[in-house]
Parts: sequence; C-alpha cells; structure tokens
Amino acid sequence: MIDPYETRLSRRELVLRLSSTGLVAGAVGVGALLFHDRRAQAAGLRPIPDWRVPGGGSLPEAAAAHGADPAANLRRAIEAVGGMGRFVKKGEVVVIKPNVGWDRLPEQAANTDPQVVAELVRLCRGAGAKRVVVTDNSCNDPRRCFARSGIAAAASQAGAEIVDGSAAVFVPASVSGYSSGIEVMEAVLLADRVINVPVVKHHSLSRATLGMKNWMGVLGKGRNRLHQSIHRSVAELGAMFRPTLTVMDATRILLANGPQGGSLADVKTVGAVAVGTDALACEVWGAVQMGLQPASLGFITEAAQRGIGRADLALVKDLGSA
Amino acid sequence: MRWVQRIRAVYQGFFLLLFLWLLARLAAGDLRDLPFSVFHHADPLSAVGLVLAAGTLPGALAWATLLILLTLLFGRVFCGWICPLGTLQHLASRLFSGRKRRESQLVNRYRRWYALKVYILVALLVGALLGTLQSGWLDPLSLTARGLASGLWAALPGGRLVPGGWLAAGLLLGILVASRFIPRLFCRALCPLGALLGLFARFSLFRIRRRASACTDCGACTFACQGADEPLGSHRVHECHVCLNCLPACPKAALGYAALPALPPAPAQPDFSRRTAIGTAIVTLTVGPLLRASGGGRDAARADLIRPPGALPEGEFLKQCVKCSLCQQACPTGALHPAIAQAGVEGFWSPVLIARRGWCEFACTRCGEVCPTGAIAKLTSARKTGYDGGEPVRIGTAFVDRGRCLPWAMGTPCIVCEEMCPTDPKAIWFVEVEEPGRDGQPVRLQRPMVDPQRCTGCGICENRCPVGAKAAISISSVGESRDPLNRLVLPPPAR
Repeated sequence: MIDPYETRLSRRELVLRLSSTGLVAGAVGVGALLFHDRRAQAAGLRPIPDWRVPGGGSLPEAAAAHGADPAANLRRAIEAVGGMGRFVKKGEVVVIKPNVGWDRLPEQAANTDPQVVAELVRLCRGAGAKRVVVTDNSCNDPRRCFARSGIAAAASQAGAEIVDGSAAVFVPASVSGYSSGIEVMEAVLLADRVINVPVVKHHSLSRATLGMKNWMGVLGKGRNRLHQSIHRSVAELGAMFRPTLTVMDATRILLANGPQGGSLADVKTVGAVAVGTDALACEVWGAVQMGLQPASLGFITEAAQRGIGRADLALVKDLGSA
Repeated sequence: MRWVQRIRAVYQGFFLLLFLWLLARLAAGDLRDLPFSVFHHADPLSAVGLVLAAGTLPGALAWATLLILLTLLFGRVFCGWICPLGTLQHLASRLFSGRKRRESQLVNRYRRWYALKVYILVALLVGALLGTLQSGWLDPLSLTARGLASGLWAALPGGRLVPGGWLAAGLLLGILVASRFIPRLFCRALCPLGALLGLFARFSLFRIRRRASACTDCGACTFACQGADEPLGSHRVHECHVCLNCLPACPKAALGYAALPALPPAPAQPDFSRRTAIGTAIVTLTVGPLLRASGGGRDAARADLIRPPGALPEGEFLKQCVKCSLCQQACPTGALHPAIAQAGVEGFWSPVLIARRGWCEFACTRCGEVCPTGAIAKLTSARKTGYDGGEPVRIGTAFVDRGRCLPWAMGTPCIVCEEMCPTDPKAIWFVEVEEPGRDGQPVRLQRPMVDPQRCTGCGICENRCPVGAKAAISISSVGESRDPLNRLVLPPPAR
C-alpha cells in the first residue's frame, strides 16, 4: 500500500507551499505598513480661493445705476466697471450667491430680486461661462425659498444650475476665527469665479444685512453661533471670502422686521443696483440706501480695520437714472 | 506524549490568569502603567475591522500582525493556547460532562453548521466596510472582558453596578454552559476571530501529520478534540485549535505535529458555502445601513450622548470602537457606562458618561490610555486640562436648572457645584443676592452661573449636586471638543 502521508514532499510542492505562506505573510505585513496610523497623515482643510480679478486701471471701483428695470440697472452698472468680459472668461465655472434665505415673495424684499439674478446669469453665460451655479443655504425650507423667491425659475430659465441647501455638499474648509470648524458649501470652493448678490435689508441684530453677511449662506451647520459676536464674525467672513464682484441689490429694500420681513409696509422701492470690485465700498453704498451712517455699523468699521476694502462712498460712481 | 498537553495547559493557565489579573487590576483602579490592553492590541479581528471601517490601523493594534504571522506558522494556536474565552470553555467543557468515549466521538465530529462563524465574519467585515464596526459583539476578548468586568464582577459585594451588565454576563455564562453540551461551541460555530484565524491557518506551515499506514481509524484522536477538526481522514486545519490532544490519544502513535507534512485529501464537503457567504454579504448590505439609520448621534448630536474625553467625532468613533469595555473598567469614578439607547443600535455598548454615577476626573486620562483602537485618543493631563496653553478638552457643558436649584428656587444657600468645579478660574460663578426669606429675614444667596468658555463638562457638579435623583445642574454634550458642529460658544478670538 502506498501511504501518501509518508511520501516525502517533492521540491516543487515544498516551494509552492512555502511561497504561498510567505505570500500571505507578506501581504499582511504590507497591508499593516500601508494602513498603520494612516489617518494621521490624511485630513486637511479645503482652501478658500481668492476669486478677485486684477485691478481695472482707470475704471471705477464700483458703480450704481437707478431705474425701474432691475436688469437694465445691472447691465449699466456692470458696463461701467468694465463689462462682464473683464470678470468672467470663456469656460469658467461661476457661482452666483444671491440671498435666498427666506420663504418670501419678491415684493416682500427678503431675498435678492429674481430679475437681477437672472440677468446676471445671462451676462455670465454671454461672457462664455461654462457653468453658472446659483446657490444659497437658506434658513427656511430651501425648496420653498428658491421657488417662492422666483429665483429658481428665473435663474434656470436664464441658463443656470440651481443648487439649493438641500442638494449642497458641505466640506471642512480653511475657515478661521469664529467660524472655524463650520463647513463650507463645496460648489462655492470649486468655482473659478464667485459673484456675491446680496439684497439690502434690515437685520434685528446687526441693523443691516448687506454683502459680507450674505456669506453666512455658504456656511453649513453651526453658523447660528456667529450671532454671539455678529460684527466681528461678519468682518471675518468678508476677509475670508473675496468675491470677483459684489452686486448690491437695492431694487426693493426691507427697512424693518428683518431679515425676514413680511409686511409690504416695511418695503421701500429704491430701484437701484450697485456693482463693484471693492466689497466694502458696495457695503457702504448699501448702508446709505437704508439711511444708515456706514461708520455706525460695527461690521463695516471692523472690515475697514482689516483692510478688506475702502469704506468710501465716493468710490461708487453714480450713473444716475437711465 | 502527555507532556505536550501539560505544556499547553501551562500556556493556557498563564494567559488566562494574565488576562484576568490585568482586567481585575484595571477595574480596581491600579495606577501603574500596566499593559492593560495587550490582548486587545493583538486582536486581528479588530485590526482587520478597523482597516475596513476606518481605513487605518492605529498604533499598537499593529501587534495583531504578529498574531497572524504566528497563525501562518503554527495554525490557530491562539485559540488553543492563548484565548481566555477558549480556556474558560475548555474548562467548562470538562466539568460535569461525564461523556462516554462513544459520545465524545460523536460530539467532536465536524458539523456543517460550524460554518456559521464564517458567515458571521463575512457579515461583520461587510458591515465594517459600510462604516459600522460591530465585531466587538462576538470578539472573544471584548466579550470576555465585558462579561466578567461589567457583568459578573458587578454582582460581587462592593461591585460597581453597570446598567445592562446582566446582558454581558448572560452572554458569557451562556457560552460557558453551552460548552458543557458541545465542547467549545462558541469557538466552533460562532467565533468570528477564530474564523478569521482559520483563513490564515489554511496556509500554516506546522500542522497535524497522520501516518495512514499506522492509523487503524479507531477514532481515539477525537475523544478530546477541541476544534472538531477530525484529525483522522481529511483533517480540517482551519478548524484545528492545535490543542494537540490527539497526539497522545493515538494508540498507534500515528499522529504528529510537524512542519510541512503531506496534505490530507480534501474533505468530501466544502467547509462553507460560497453562495451562503455571498447571500450573507448582500443581507448585510441591506441591514448595515438600517443600523446606521437607527438614530444615534451620527447625524445630529444628542444631549445625553456624552463620550469620554478625547473620543473621536461620532462617525469616526463608531468606526473604531470595538466595545471592549476597557475604558469603562478604567474609569476611576465609574462614570463610563455602556450606551443602551444613547448611541443608537450600532453604538450599543459603546461608552457614555453618566454623571449621576461618576464624573470625568479633571486631570485623568486613563480611558484614552487603555483604549486599544484609538477610538479615544491618548491625551496628556496638560492637554486635557488646557494647562498646555491650548483649549481644554471638553466633553459637554453644564446647565443650571433654576427651577430645582436651592439658591435659585428655594431661597436656600448652597454652593456645592461651585466648590467641586475643577477649572481655574472656576466655570461656575455666583450671582450674589440678599433676599427676604419666608419669615421676612434677609437670606444671602449665591446663585450659580455657568461660564461656557470655562466649563469642560466634566460633570462633577451634577454628580455632587445635593438635589437628589435629578440634579439641579446637569451636563449635556453641547460644547464637546470632538464635534465642531456641536460647539456652543464662539472660540476665543485668535491672539
């Protein structure tokens, strides 16, 4: 009888078995080395780009146009600071950040005027933008805010993609100061150009919601604690988010019960739009539209100290009525 | 050949006593720097689970590779020579059994349903890939530590009561009792660590060698076989615990333990069904997300989910915690307890701090020191307290219930929470008032206020508050350092 258990191993089988065991041992070792304390090396915060374009020479820092047609006001103001071709190049991805904070109708003036947003989208597309994204992280239900503000319909008809807060992705980013640890909307961080389109309105704590405070809308959960120190927080946001353009919408402004408003009695029709590369000059212009002394607003003085821009109304060229 | 068994018994006894001694010293609050988590560091199930779930093999868990290499050399010696639960079952299987030789032969036959452990392993590893690490449920080291320290010892006089401890004790006792009927039933049919080591044992160099010419197929080798691996015929090396009971049992000395013996013929039936394994994986893909959707603290912070200091953010924590309970044993004040409902289904038995039972001792960092997987980071006292100049590590924030607090609601002086507050300056400060009492006489009252910039959420205020049963000051998780989204107040302005 042949006993297979007493036969000696062939050299071939010996090599085969030793090498298969060795291979498994090697794989375990390599795996352990590969994964050992791997987390420590990973992590990392996404940078916030600077979306500004180089200086415009003799062009004004900002311009404001008045008139009954918000879209015409916007076109004239943008023309005055160099035209959209100066800011958006062919193939670029542009994010437009209006204020779509509330489930309110356009005439209630709690959100940016839809005609301004839509015209802005058309101008960006006209300048050759590959994609135009309109986004905001609303306070009320985002779908209702985008629908009832009229911005979803007007902007998508003009050729924009709508990313409301329910669809937005938030990622850890290199925000500092009071907002550190709060996540930022990824779509904004991925943009080549960002245009800030706030509406001028009243706010119960900071007295006015203008451009720098509009950056609250690109932040994720945790932003509500910024109200514990609103002026400094708003100025910090202004220092971290440097938009290509600020479009200050004063088509209608809300003068009381902000930032939500409600009553049409609190809404004043101004019929003006300002556009600028100096975010702080636009901020000052917005405050003046509300009848406020810019120097009396803490976030404007803080921002001026931080050198975010020049808090000077004279920088805004008044184009008058059409 | 009996000396082989004696040597093995010495190893088993040594490792069991070491395991028990370390666990007992830990629970007793031994302040020495003993290697409390040495067994858990060498656990390949935790290591593989963490790599799949968290994509990292933290720190000392790399020792698990050593155990895998040991298995590649000698087979599942861990199961037969080292594992404390294996040894306990080994003992239990010999108590009161009184089996006849013929019965012993039957009970030590391989059964197809012993493959259950492979499917359990598949489910756990697929679950880990989905980001929910549940291996600690059946990991023998975690299971034994929990059952002994949180369960059985709590019943001893002076034992520290643990809510849910009966469950841990019941599981352990059930496993030991089952061993009386089928030896090492847990190892044979349920243990996912054994199943994992079995995968590596298939490549082991040393294994049982049988000389067929000498073997009379008498079956004496199976009388005391621990693994039900059937050393006669088609020996299942992945089931073998290398207890080596079969060697001296053989009347013809046909069995040996040798390097690279010739392989026996493959078993007539495969050891587990690939189809069932794939089915298990698919079921897990369905059930895993359900576990995650069970409403723990993953997506929204929960007030009562207070994690130990240094704990990772909840999502990461659940990927790394193996529920071994070592932190709970290590906590000197008995503050850490198994989560019953606070962390959802997937966080069951993970550690939570219950301030009415204990508090987080200000400069103590023991839970992180013993955590074998890095779910709780190792901290220095200076780092934890903020004495290194940074922000202190916070686990929550205290809130005064003005409707229950003696000076606030009852016109009665009391300062206990402020007295106990460990921070410097204290997070609890007083609003001092003098008010007329019920009899018209003025009473001087110091009413506690909490400074959220100072409070670390340690919970000693809640623990010592004289307003019994439900304290007038209590901590909730808001403000915990680990979750920037659960921050309460603004960070201090940068200098």
